[in-house]
Amino acid sequence: MTAYILNLLVLISVYAILSTTLNFIIGYAGIFSLAHAVFFGIGGYTAALVAMHVSPEFFVAIPIAMAAAAGTSLLLALPALRVRGEYFVAASLGLQVLAVTLFSEWKSFTGGIGGVIGIPSVELFGYPVYKPWQFLIISLICLAIIIVIIRTLVHTSFGRSLKAIRDSESAALASGKNITVIKTLSVVLSSSLAAVAGALYAFYMSFINVESFMLDTSVLVMAMVIIGGTATILGPLLGAGLLMLLPSALTYLWFLPQTEIGSIQQIVYGLAMVLLMIFRPGGIVSSHPGGGK
Amino acid sequence: MLFLQLLANGLQVGAIYALTAAGFSLIFGSTKIFHFAHGATFAIAAYLFHFALAGLGMHWTFAVLLAAVSAVVFGILLDRLMYAPIQRHEGSFFTVFVASFGIGIVVQNLLGSVFGRGFMSVATPLSNSVEVIPGIYLSPLNGLAIVSAIICFAALHLFLTRTFVGKGMRALSENPELVRTFGLSPRRLSTYAFALGSLLVVPGAIFTAAGTGINPAVGHHVMLISLAATIVGGIGSLRGAACAGLLIGVAENLAMWKLGTQWSEAITFAILFFFIIFKPSGFFGRQTVS
Repeated sequence: MTAYILNLLVLISVYAILSTTLNFIIGYAGIFSLAHAVFFGIGGYTAALVAMHVSPEFFVAIPIAMAAAAGTSLLLALPALRVRGEYFVAASLGLQVLAVTLFSEWKSFTGGIGGVIGIPSVELFGYPVYKPWQFLIISLICLAIIIVIIRTLVHTSFGRSLKAIRDSESAALASGKNITVIKTLSVVLSSSLAAVAGALYAFYMSFINVESFMLDTSVLVMAMVIIGGTATILGPLLGAGLLMLLPSALTYLWFLPQTEIGSIQQIVYGLAMVLLMIFRPGGIVSSHPGGGK
Repeated sequence: MLFLQLLANGLQVGAIYALTAAGFSLIFGSTKIFHFAHGATFAIAAYLFHFALAGLGMHWTFAVLLAAVSAVVFGILLDRLMYAPIQRHEGSFFTVFVASFGIGIVVQNLLGSVFGRGFMSVATPLSNSVEVIPGIYLSPLNGLAIVSAIICFAALHLFLTRTFVGKGMRALSENPELVRTFGLSPRRLSTYAFALGSLLVVPGAIFTAAGTGINPAVGHHVMLISLAATIVGGIGSLRGAACAGLLIGVAENLAMWKLGTQWSEAITFAILFFFIIFKPSGFFGRQTVS
């Protein structure tokens, strides 16, 4: 039972990192991405390969994974700079679909459908970390650092510029904001932090394959941000907790057919998205009660 | 030979994509609602057609009728019960998109729970392929799909240019305020747009159910394709959506010639990505960047 709860908590903190970093671009920059799982994946694969071939040291693998995701994220920044709204959603969808094909076809990097197996346990200053509770502590520390980074950024002039661009791009441009640099930086930052979640996930599972990085994951993370509440710190955390606990909670409802749990979970969060958009578009933890962005 | 075969398949698939994309484009153009659940309409029509024909053993005319009615009713219900309340208080692009996406997820999983998650296809006398010239296999369904797409487009064109309601729908896409001043109700025209747009998925849904087969994710797939076609063709341009749908269908099939099947979706999205970065207004679109 302890093992079960620890496992759930580690996964919740990994997904909380994903939802917090996605919220940074959805909530504050107004960049609506459906490609977050791509950077999760790049982080995971890169960290796995570094650990297997270079060094299993945490402080070696994580920066390299972040750099790889940051580089790739420029592909996402490119359309984000040129177009808004529906076009960008479509572009990020395109990137997600392309990435899934590459993840399952580029066998030397990702191991294809079979995935990467036998990822060595990560080392922290030379000490191997493999027990679930050690992982939980590391992931919670990473989550806390990421929250502090994002919270701090949002309250600096950079964060205010982001919100200005979200609310009116032409007004921000008119007041002399360098939109190109600000938008690119926010996408790069969000993606490289998502790679941290990928690396943690790869080390924790010691096996990864393309199934964890598909469109479904992007949609799940998006649902966490939206259901929890965009442009808040607490919202994405709450969303991650709720949606990760949902499958386990559903198994306690004895009258539900156990084989349908996956479907029922998706139906529940699909319906939650619809109802929230009609009645409370800001999410559960709404930064503008009674409506707003 | 393989090239010609793939080209023929591509034209059939392209015709289906073109119709579905035209429906999406019609709804998006005239109401500005990003109707992501359009794929769900497609899946519902396809599953009900399959169920009526294979499950209940109905005559095919009734099955077609059932698919058409359910698609239209589903479209109108979404417009009235979901989009109208959202648009009443705020209706930003983001809110509409998320709600629509949510419905898509719900429908996909409900269909999976009710009808099973596997691939299903219903055999009709028209589905059997015959060797037309050596090495090329075609079924009457291939031709029928293309012919019905042409008929639908001709009818749609006449409707939008000759009838009062059709002209109203085009006016709605240009200037909703003027439509109101003129004494027409944008709300009612929006319902018509949903009814007509949803009706356009029916031929595609039927031919897919009777041909290559359906699974619960078919709506999602079709939606991604029509979204790509709408943008590549230029938002608001039915002609563009149709051409782009055809192009994507053919490209997807020709991709199998040199690469594997697994690359077909990636090819579509590579085209889309390219267009969004270099020519966001599409083939025939108005300038809509930023």
